[in-house]
Formats: sequence, structure tokens, C-alpha cells
Amino acid sequence: MVFAFLVLILLIALPLAEIFIQSVYRDGELQWSAPFRTLADSDMMVVLLSSIWLGVCVILGTTVIALPLAWVMVNTRLGRWRWLEIVFLIPFMTPPYIGSMGWILFMQKNGYLEQLAPGLSGLGGAFFSFGGMVAIMSLHLYPFLYLLLRGALERIGGNMEEAAAVMGAPFTYRFRRVIAPLLLSAFGMGAMLIFVKTIAEFGTPVTFGKRIGYEVMTSEIHKYISSWPIDFGKATSLSSVLLASCLLVWYVQSVVNRKYTFGLVGGKGVRRSSIRGNGWLQWVAGIYVVLLLMVSIGIPYFSIVAASTMKLRGIGLAWNNFTLDFYKELLRWNSPSMQALMNSLWLSLAASTIALMLGTWFAVAIGRSKSRGQRTIDLLSLLPNTVPGIVLVVGLILLWNSPWMPVPLYNTYGMVILTYVVLFVPYTVQYVKSAFTQIDPKLFQAGQVFGAKPVYAFRRVLLPLIVPGMLAGWMMTFTIASRELVGSLLILPPSMQTSATYIYAQFEQGQVSLGMAMAVISVGLTTLLLILLEAAGSKRKWASP
Amino acid sequence: MFNMTRNKWKKGSALILALTLGAALAGCGSNKAAEDTAAAAGEGKPAETADKTLTVYTAGPEGLANNLIKEFESQSGIKVETFQGTTGKILARLEAEKSNPVADVVILASLPSAQGLKKEGLTLAYPEAKNADKLSKDWSDPEGNYFSTSASALGIAYNTKLVTTPPTSWSDLAKPEYKDQINIPDPSLSGSALDFITGYLSDKGDGGWSLFESYKANGVAMAGANQEALDPVITGAKSMVAGAVDYMTYKAKAKGEPIDIVYPQEGTVVSPRPAAILKSTKHEENAKAFIDYLLSDPAQKLVSDAALLPGRTDVKAENRANLDDIPLLKTDWTWMGEHGTEVTDKFTKLLK
Repeated sequence: MVFAFLVLILLIALPLAEIFIQSVYRDGELQWSAPFRTLADSDMMVVLLSSIWLGVCVILGTTVIALPLAWVMVNTRLGRWRWLEIVFLIPFMTPPYIGSMGWILFMQKNGYLEQLAPGLSGLGGAFFSFGGMVAIMSLHLYPFLYLLLRGALERIGGNMEEAAAVMGAPFTYRFRRVIAPLLLSAFGMGAMLIFVKTIAEFGTPVTFGKRIGYEVMTSEIHKYISSWPIDFGKATSLSSVLLASCLLVWYVQSVVNRKYTFGLVGGKGVRRSSIRGNGWLQWVAGIYVVLLLMVSIGIPYFSIVAASTMKLRGIGLAWNNFTLDFYKELLRWNSPSMQALMNSLWLSLAASTIALMLGTWFAVAIGRSKSRGQRTIDLLSLLPNTVPGIVLVVGLILLWNSPWMPVPLYNTYGMVILTYVVLFVPYTVQYVKSAFTQIDPKLFQAGQVFGAKPVYAFRRVLLPLIVPGMLAGWMMTFTIASRELVGSLLILPPSMQTSATYIYAQFEQGQVSLGMAMAVISVGLTTLLLILLEAAGSKRKWASP
Repeated sequence: MFNMTRNKWKKGSALILALTLGAALAGCGSNKAAEDTAAAAGEGKPAETADKTLTVYTAGPEGLANNLIKEFESQSGIKVETFQGTTGKILARLEAEKSNPVADVVILASLPSAQGLKKEGLTLAYPEAKNADKLSKDWSDPEGNYFSTSASALGIAYNTKLVTTPPTSWSDLAKPEYKDQINIPDPSLSGSALDFITGYLSDKGDGGWSLFESYKANGVAMAGANQEALDPVITGAKSMVAGAVDYMTYKAKAKGEPIDIVYPQEGTVVSPRPAAILKSTKHEENAKAFIDYLLSDPAQKLVSDAALLPGRTDVKAENRANLDDIPLLKTDWTWMGEHGTEVTDKFTKLLK
């Protein structure tokens, strides 16, 4: 545990400390009040509140989408289609600024909706509002909550619900008194991650938010970090406010979590509930899933694919304006785009694998967060998720490029991998922890009774039980790492690109179609890879509980 | 008893994880070592071999930067590492690397930023640069700290399908027929938009604000950086961009998009793109050679091919309006450099 602690200090606490020093060390002298002065600016309060309000609304939005979906996937026949799992991840694989651009292109004046159905043009005006922004972000983030809720629902299994049903409890009562309390711990974790992701999100506020004039903290922070005079001090002061609000949410969540954690995985083998939906319920469930996929994937991807196959974007949707030239240009062997694609692939493979190992280790060290030390590790391993990526990345540069740093990691591929690992290790930790805390200690005692050595108990008892959590964490990390933009822009060695920076560069250069085509290819590639993995994984006996 | 067994077990698991992790990191380590030696070989330590490397951070357009660097590499035999990004990204990277700088030369798309770098003492003066005397005096440093080797002019870009008679004056954009149809790039994200606003104000004085107030009243929207402001005009969601960067518009027009640009008759602002050597450079000679190259005839030709204004006044562009054809406001770059932050704040608050 001590070792885990030290690794976390090096990876996460030190870069953040560098940032903190920046925010109080102005003009060569120590000024403790500097961060507070930045905040005293009255406008900042308003911006902070908008960030928090957005976070709350997106939690609501994702819950409304993910909770029914998780229930449907566990309790109806749709659950047999494992590939759907991957499909549900697609919105999350889409870089947020691309997804938002897809929505904008669809809804704006003379946009695709108006070209397809001129009668519906009134919808556009209503869409460019705060509600639209919440919808876009919820549709982007719901897979997060869904994966956690589904995992928890599966672990609950049928027994408890059946027991209640035998006693004559109707569905609403069963949900309220059996499922909801058992779900609360996973939901709390998911809601917290959603909140943190939302208020630290940059892509949607900068594309869609700017358009409707909705300012949030990240766009303010970005202003200080990207236009002359660059002021890391101010940016970090604002970040520490974000950090503080995230910590508060984390604290509430950890209290809830400690109160509502139950030993659900008791070794009896989980059986699906026999309370299955009848015919019409299956139909409703099916329609719900199809509608959700149409809205969360259909609309944005229609725009993205349309934009990537247009000769001239000023002409719009027309068959004689269709071309595949951009794809041909991208897929030429040894072209810069191919290299960028390959870079993304192996960098995110390496990063997610290292993050998987580190994250599992941390999660096991955290255990049930009984001791103070364990809770500190829990907090430390979550921190990267609470700070806007760009701020943490600056901290990492400050640390790893400082003259006294003995390891010459900066400006190498290693630095990129390290950055991804630091940014995304919280996901593995959360997923594994969520699986781990629900394992009944009796299982280990049973192993002990039969004389299992610790190594054996780890291999044969714990590992099989947390593997689904590990896999989910790995998939998440791989998915996000392969589209990471903000960190990559700052940290990639000169003359090197990943698919995300390539896309971004194309947008900057006015080659929107080329950028969109690259987005389609890279998301497609990620999806394909995950489907293959899932197919391979489901043959293993422990892959699905 | 229970606690004890659990702890024992946990130690065991931690050990296993530590071992696997160690092995994995060792694997990565060896990979990295190989890369490092490769990188070191490329870098060519000055002590042993002739210094043949240079690191350039450059703001777009990407095609031009690539062409310039390719030609310079083949001419000089120097290997150039490049980082391309917006001026803001480059400045942020410089700041983050401050304690251990990597870049030797920067090319920015914003003159006030270069003035700022000079003021902070981060630039290296190179007054002997060849052809520097042919640069426009207003845009380059007399002491040779930065050289504006190219420039863009700002105008009104419009969608030719939506606007049949283009406006001729900045104030035309406040007409009711264009209500809610105009974008302006955000000066906190676009250096050239800031140049346009401060440039306009430096000519008109405080009275100049009335133009932007009338823009606000007419629903002019701030829309990200230059390309983000221009894109909706290409797709027809908006009709015009005020303060549009001309070379981007020329490029889209050359592709065949329904778009064109006009320079209002009362005059506009030119946004220079300065190059500077950083004081921290470890490859001073190469950096100087690169500046000389940027000011040479072939490099200036590449600039004009990319539809930018050549920095040298004696080189003419062929496929775009030349400086003589563009009506100019009387801009005061010293005033503009000093009042950038203040104007940005006021402007973004006004248009919000």
C-alpha cells in the first residue's frame, strides 16, 4: 500500500503541486492571496454556477437515458446481443467536439435537417439553447453510467427481486425497496464521474456553448492558457475551484457509498431473474433501444458522414456532390494520416494496458476504503478526473521537463503514454473498485479454509470476479485514449500526430471534410477492435457473469 | 483473525501486480531506450557532430509550413522538427517548457504576441538578417527581434449564394437586412480578429466602439477562431464574417466553395505573421539560417502561392489582392500591443 501511495504521489500529486505553486507564485514572489483575487472577480461566480448547473442537468439527462437502458439490457432478451454493448459505446468514442459539430451541422439554418425536411426548420431554433447543450452532453456521456449500472444490476441477480416478488411486491415497490438501494452505490459513482466529466469537458462548451453564449469554467480556463499573455497562474486558480467542487461531490459520493455497499457476489452463482418482461414489454424495450441509437448515433453520424463525403460543403446534400476522395486520400499507405492513425492505435493500446495494471493495483489497495490511508489513495487516484485535462497536462510538462528531472521522458513517446495513463487511470480504478467492493469477504474466507495461499486466492477467487470490471475499465481507457485531444496537442513530440490532433489540424486548416472522414475512420477502427475483443473475450468462461 | 488473513492476501496480490507491472514497464523501458538513442542520433549532439537540427513551432497554414520546411531542409541539410498549432497553442507550449525550452524558432500569427515575447526578453536579436530591410517597417522590429515574413489582410467574407450585392463599408453590417446573419471571430481565440478590432480602434479612437455596439444590436455573433467563424458561412448557416482572414477565404474560393471577400473602402487592417528566434536556442546558427531563408526570394514565393501577403514589400503576390490594392486604416501597432487584453475583455463582454 505504501508503494502504491508513492507511485500516486509521483504520477499525480507532484504535477498538481507544480500547478499549485504556479498559481501562488506570481512575478517571482509568493502571493498566497493570488488565487482568491482571481475568484473575487464577480463574473467568475456566475461562470462557476453555470458549470455546476450544467453538471447537475447532465446527471439527470444521463440517468433518464441510462437507467431504463441498463434495466432493459439485463432483463429482456436484448441482453443476449453482446455486440450491442459496443454499439452503445460509440457516442462515447466520438470526440465531443465532433459530436457537437455533427449536431450543429444537422440543426443549424440551412443545415441537413432543413435540407431533408424543410417543414421541420423551426426545430433548429429551439435546439440552440441550454436544453440542447444538456441533450448533446447527455447523449455523449450516458454510456459511462450505463456500463456501471448494468454491471451492478447483473450482480444483483434475480434472487433478491424474486424474493420480493414472491412476497407479492409490485414492480414499483420492488424497484424502490430492492433494486434502488442496491444500485445506489454504483449510481453514486457513475453520477459523480458524469458530473466531473461534464464540468471538466471542453469540446462541447467550446463548439456548441460558444454558439449559444453559455460560458463555463473550462472555456474561461482555456482563454488564459491559449491567448497572449499566457497566464498559467490564473488558469490554475480557476482550476483549483473546479477541483474543489469535484472533491466535494466525491466526498458526498464516498459517504453514500460506504453506507450502501452490500456483499452481493456471494459465490452462489448468479442466475438471471425469471421475472421477464412479457411480449409487449419486449417490444417497448426494443423500440426504446432503436430510438436511443437513432438519436445518439444516427443523427450525429449522419452529419459527420455527410460532411465527409461532400465535394463542396457550400452545395449541401446532393448526389452529384458526393465523393469518396477524402477517404482515398486518408487511407493511402504511409500518408501522414495513416501514420497518425497508427500512432493513436499503439499509443492507446500501451496506455490502456499500463493503466489497467496500475488501476487494478490501486483499486485493490483501496479495498473497502476503511482506513485513512486507503481513502487517501482513493482520492489521489481520482484526482486526474477532477481537473480539466489541459491543466493537468501543463503540470506534467512542468514536472517532467524541469531541469532537475533525471528521467529524460519529455518529448518522447513515453511522455505521451505517461500522460494518457495519468489522465485515464481513474476509470480503471472506479470500474474495478465498483466490482471489488461488492464481493462478499466470505469468499476469501472460504478460500482460506481450504488452504489457499494468497497468490492462489488472488488468481482463482479475486481475479475471476474482478475481470469484468477490469475489462470495462480497459475498454473505456482505450476508447478515450484513442481520441484524446487536449493533452496530445500540448505533449506530442514535434513532427508527430495522432488521429485526434490530425482531425483538429484539418478543422483549423478549413479541411472540414477531411477531418470528418478521419473521425469516421478512427471511430470505426476503434469499434471494430472492441467488437473483436468482445467476441474473443466472451468465449472465456469468466467474461460474463 | 479475519483482518489478518485479508491483509496477508492483499500483500500477496499487491506483490503479483507489482511484478507484472514491473515487467511491463521494463518492456516499455527498453522500447523507450531504443527510441531515445534514435532520437539522440537524430538530434546530433553539437559536441561530436556538426549541428544539423532545428526545432520550429509554427502557426498555420499547414501546407505552407510544410513546403517552407521541406525546401529549407533540402537547401541546408538541416533536419527540422516542427510543431504546428494555433498561436495560442504555441504560446502555451512555450510557457510550459519555459524552464527547459525545446523550440529554436517560432512563427506566430499575431504581432502583439511577438511584441510580448520581445518585451519579456525571450527573443534573440538578429539585426544582420538578409533582406530584413525590405520588410514593411511597421511590422518588424528595428532591432531584429522579429520579422513579419508574411501577412494576411482582414475583410468581409460572404456567401455568394446568400449575398448578391456585397457590402462596401464596415457599417453596412449593421443594416437590418443582415440581422443575425453575421459572425465575427472571437478576439480571445483569434489574434487576427484582435488585430482588426484594436486596429480599427487605434484609427478611430474611442468613438470606434460605436461600430461594435451597432454590431451587437444587429445580432452579430462571436464564433470561435477564424475557421470556425468562416465555416458556417461556407455551409450557408450564416451570410458573412466580419474581420475574416483573407487567405482562408481565397483558399475556400479556389476549391469552388460559394464564397468571396471584400475589403471595405474606409480601410482595413493587415495582420502580420512574425517569425522570431528564441533566446534559449541551442542551435543559433541554424536558426539564423532559417530566418534568412524565410526572407529569401523562393520562400517569399511560397508565401504568395499560399495566398498570403509576402512580408517583403518588393515581392508581389499573383493570385490575390496585393497590399497596394487594399485600402488600409492608420494602425498604431504600439498602441495595439499595449491595449490587447483590455480591448479583448471589453469586446467579449459587449458581444456576449
